[in-house]
Amino acid sequence: MKKILQITLGIVTSIGGFLEIGSVMTAAQAGAEFGYQLLWALLLGTLCLIFLVEMSGRLAAVSRHTVVDAMRERFGFPFFFIVLVGIVLVAFMVLVAELGGIAYGMQILTGIGFPWWAIPISLTVWLLMWKGSFSLIENGASLLGLVTISFMVAAIRLRPEWSSVGSAMLPSMPHGDKARYGFLAVSILGASISPYLMYFYSSGAIEEKWDRTYLPINRFIAGFGMTFGGVLSMAVLIVAALALRPQGIQLDTFPQAALMLTTALPKYGFYFFALSMVFACFGAALEISLAIAYFFAQGFGWNWSQNLKPSKNARFAFVYTLIILLAGIPLVLGIDPIKVTMMSMALTSATLPIAIVPFLFLMNDPIFLGKHRNGWISNSVVAIVIVISFVLALISIPLEIAGA
Amino acid sequence: MHLIRDVLDKKMVDREHCDMGRVCGLVMHVGESSQPRITHILIGGPTVWMRLHPALGRLSTRLAGMWGPRREGAVKIPWSRVETIGRDVKLDVEARDTGALDWEIWIAKHIIERIPGGGSEEAE
Repeated sequence: MKKILQITLGIVTSIGGFLEIGSVMTAAQAGAEFGYQLLWALLLGTLCLIFLVEMSGRLAAVSRHTVVDAMRERFGFPFFFIVLVGIVLVAFMVLVAELGGIAYGMQILTGIGFPWWAIPISLTVWLLMWKGSFSLIENGASLLGLVTISFMVAAIRLRPEWSSVGSAMLPSMPHGDKARYGFLAVSILGASISPYLMYFYSSGAIEEKWDRTYLPINRFIAGFGMTFGGVLSMAVLIVAALALRPQGIQLDTFPQAALMLTTALPKYGFYFFALSMVFACFGAALEISLAIAYFFAQGFGWNWSQNLKPSKNARFAFVYTLIILLAGIPLVLGIDPIKVTMMSMALTSATLPIAIVPFLFLMNDPIFLGKHRNGWISNSVVAIVIVISFVLALISIPLEIAGA
Repeated sequence: MHLIRDVLDKKMVDREHCDMGRVCGLVMHVGESSQPRITHILIGGPTVWMRLHPALGRLSTRLAGMWGPRREGAVKIPWSRVETIGRDVKLDVEARDTGALDWEIWIAKHIIERIPGGGSEEAE
């Protein structure tokens, strides 16, 4: 009974915690500019994420190591340091974007400019980390994030042509700006395959003391939770394609995005969008801050647990305090969170090889996983998607910067 | 036992299973007539940064002398204190007495405990 409850909660939190500013803005821009044409990128990203999440849970349950623990042990400090710099820099940019997403949501709800929200929001995120337990952070924020199901409701109410939706699951060449199309595909892949999710998920498995008996639960949560989450992202793209594209809106600013749900839900769409952004980005900001602190603490072998008092794992608490403080500064200065979001998602794709390739080596290491090592299907799916996103990132990021 | 694979960079725990950091370096004694043997485990910033570049190791030592718990030299644990090597390296020591937790205690006392709700590092 306890395990059924855990599966249900795991799936619900995966759905509620899936959308964040990156997945919403990349899918919305793709829908507004290219209609359904980039749905294949969401399908590919979600498929890869299912495999990666399942793998990180399996590694934790079988070897009792988090991904970071195992990486430091297996590859040593010099290599670990390269991964640390790459991942933490990108994750920090994503955290700035998430805090910006909450601030923009609050701006829509209250009319007060987003830079004014930067400090109260950073303080609230930090306070929840300071006082809250792991399950409060994981389950509480994700349950609030279930408001993002409004995108699914809106997509169904807009009556999309399902045959066109189905045919967009296969990649096709764009009629318009090819560089922009590539950049959006890369950003969608980066938003879907966020490495911080793996670090957060495997740390959570250790916090909740998973062992081998949790392997079926892990498979269920990764499979069903991420699939439903991916469907939510697709709903965002479909809504943008049907509500924004016909009006020629290309989502250059955040208030334009707020119009997405008003076509399908005229009365409350505006508020649903704002609340979705506030709750979804809030959950993501908590997860990213924790993931960065986990990365440092596990990599250097410090005490770490979100369930302990801050003074009992002082260096861990110090890292997330500092990171949240620093992430609020660019927002106070008025940096555009949309630009940070799009660039951080594309950079996530570009840094995927340094995060995922060593992880694949770990997942094939008999010392850590014994008979629970990866099979050829999981290795191939992840390797192919990583190569595609890396190549696309190498081509499209310079073109996007040159174009901008 | 393979020293690089099985010991270096592994997490250490004390007799109470308190995390003590990772094995940053190993000291080996090479005698003229005897077999080489490991004498100490090294822990701490200077040792680990030295593995990236000697200049970073020197910089880390200099910075540690100016700020923080101001410990001179790396933390050394005699190899004879190693109890078992498995998932972690288990040591027959009290973590607080070795110096491995100097930074943890310093940050707790000087920063975290001063923030309301931070708790006390010494409380059970």
